[in-house]
Amino acid sequence: MPDISLIVALALMVIKVFIVTTILFVLPLPLTYVERKVAGHIQVRLGPWRVGPHGLLQPFADMIKLILKEDIVPDKADKFLFKLAPLMAMLPAFVVYAAIPFGDKWTIPFIDREVTLYIADMNVGILYVLAISGLGIYGLIFGGWSSNSKYALIGGLRSSAQMISYEIAVSFSAIGVVLLSRSLSLLEIVKSQGGNLLHWNFFYLPVGPVWFAIFLIGSLAEINRVPFDLPEDEGTLGAGFHTEYSGMRFAFFMLAEYLALVTVSVMSVVLFFGGWNAPFNVPFVPPILWFLGKVILFIYFFMWVRFTLPRYRYDQLMTIGWKILIPVSLVNLIITGLMKI
Amino acid sequence: MEQIPFFIFAAIAVLSAIGVISVKNAVHGAFYLMITLLQVAAIFILLRSPFLAAVQVFIYVGAVMVLFLFAVMVLDIGKEELRETFNQQGVIAIPAVLVMLALIGYMIIGGKVLAPAGNLTDDVLIGNSTEVLGKELYTKYLFPFEVVSILLLIALVGAIVLVMKDRKR
Amino acid sequence: MSGKERLNIFELIKKVVFTDFVKGLSITLGYNVRGSMTLKYPDQEKWIPYKRFRGLHTLNRDENGRELCVACELCSKACPTQCITVIPMEDDTGRGISDRVAKVWKVDLVRCLFCGYCEDACPTRAVRLGRDYELACSDSSCNLKQREELLVPQSVPESFEGGVVAASTFEASPAGLRVKADLTKTKKRPW
Repeated sequence: MPDISLIVALALMVIKVFIVTTILFVLPLPLTYVERKVAGHIQVRLGPWRVGPHGLLQPFADMIKLILKEDIVPDKADKFLFKLAPLMAMLPAFVVYAAIPFGDKWTIPFIDREVTLYIADMNVGILYVLAISGLGIYGLIFGGWSSNSKYALIGGLRSSAQMISYEIAVSFSAIGVVLLSRSLSLLEIVKSQGGNLLHWNFFYLPVGPVWFAIFLIGSLAEINRVPFDLPEDEGTLGAGFHTEYSGMRFAFFMLAEYLALVTVSVMSVVLFFGGWNAPFNVPFVPPILWFLGKVILFIYFFMWVRFTLPRYRYDQLMTIGWKILIPVSLVNLIITGLMKI
Repeated sequence: MEQIPFFIFAAIAVLSAIGVISVKNAVHGAFYLMITLLQVAAIFILLRSPFLAAVQVFIYVGAVMVLFLFAVMVLDIGKEELRETFNQQGVIAIPAVLVMLALIGYMIIGGKVLAPAGNLTDDVLIGNSTEVLGKELYTKYLFPFEVVSILLLIALVGAIVLVMKDRKR
Repeated sequence: MSGKERLNIFELIKKVVFTDFVKGLSITLGYNVRGSMTLKYPDQEKWIPYKRFRGLHTLNRDENGRELCVACELCSKACPTQCITVIPMEDDTGRGISDRVAKVWKVDLVRCLFCGYCEDACPTRAVRLGRDYELACSDSSCNLKQREELLVPQSVPESFEGGVVAASTFEASPAGLRVKADLTKTKKRPW
């Protein structure tokens, strides 16, 4: 007969995983809507308008369309990897959230039980997040290769080259954060930024903003967003790695992409902007709201960037990665180390 | 209890490792290798070493395999080339492998593979294995650590030199 | 950043603090917070063109309700695409301003290029290019506009100044789609 508290802990874990997964599954729906609205308003248009009030039902219309579309597998495609690739893109996007802390502790009203607002506090959390989110690239590579299409293949190649180049810079910025916060655990990193605004890693002058810039640029490149969305450069590659995908398989790629966007926003908040810590003392605002507010700001920021900047050329992308970001992060690493002695 | 996940991971790792060397297609091989490496990472977690697991996924699965795939996709290695690699080495390789397996088996049965754990008990490792690892690396094993670093540096410089020579021609 | 270029400190600082990005981002943020330029056509708004607009033909009557058209066929002669057909006839019942009226006055809208030569040629200002521009339909029946249809007064009266956005309602019925503009509720265009 196992311990009752063990069973309760296990049940709690399952519930938390279930809740997080459900939220993540549903999240792309509002995100597509918001992205199209932001795109519309930045281009002085309205965005979705006709499906439902203010176009609010547009994501559901899109979803129905995607479900009803024919599922095409190209005749000469590598069937095994072609079918597996969307899942390989999607799975890491979900698994990453096992380590992400959304808040510290929360007492459930009425039954007075403390619940931690994270699934697992790993002592190598930051490494875990970087490693797992890096796995999403396999979906792109295998999807591109197995389609048996030149555009998709070039898209996959580009994504792998881009990923390798920028992973280094992103890891360096993670090292910087670890130096600033003296821990690999995301929970400890957030706790070390407690207090007010000035304790946030971003405001650890002069190195904080530099680390943040490196992290931001590198992450943008890793999740293949504008201005680094060369793997799906529609000007030259059709639709890039997902040229041959249709219907729900394509939707899985989009899902992974949106979740990656959320992951990067969450990681920016956790690593540099104090997680759920309030910028200054405001009573009655629960920490989770601060966290969500910051994440939403970041998501908006990424969409805003997307509809502002043009796409970089491929050689520019490589130059930024290897000749600017990596040397800058090396110098910054030395400065951070000296400041932290 | 811990044996069950270990056997699951180990079985998948061995099966996919066999897949790596038996499939004809190089990209499929890379895919199976990726699965093997992930399973090994999972076994690292069972061995109370999440740091090694994360690094395994990060470096091998995340970077090395991607580079490998990049090369495979660009070069488009055909099936003939794969066959060519098995010309006459089998005569030497098979006995060598058998001897090695026998050696490993002997060591496992004799209990000689396990290094003494010393003061690194489970209680020490569960909470802060990363800290323990870092301290050991930078104090007790500093010299081998530095040797390995220099070796890696040499390889790095060597790779650059090879490419530079090629460019001059 | 090529090596030959002389490193300008000022340029470098500009690059380091991302001035170009900030400029671009502030412009797009400005666009984001200002209103949209899209007309909510056909649900809520409709663009009423200026008087000079050349839309669907309309045949006018004088103040006594007599047809101005005298079937002189000048419009069909002036038409560069020969899309206007006029067949005259005698009529002394006072239908037109003269005894010669049009038996058939039809325009083939598929061929018409809305150049306005017909209204220039017209000696009695009978044919005008009006302000109705919703000419699309789901079959080819509406391509040919007959005299009877064109004699109906157009939706925007000639005296209305135009160049404004009017409130509108969208009416979908088996007879077809219609966007009805309310000319009393107008506003300036947003661009």
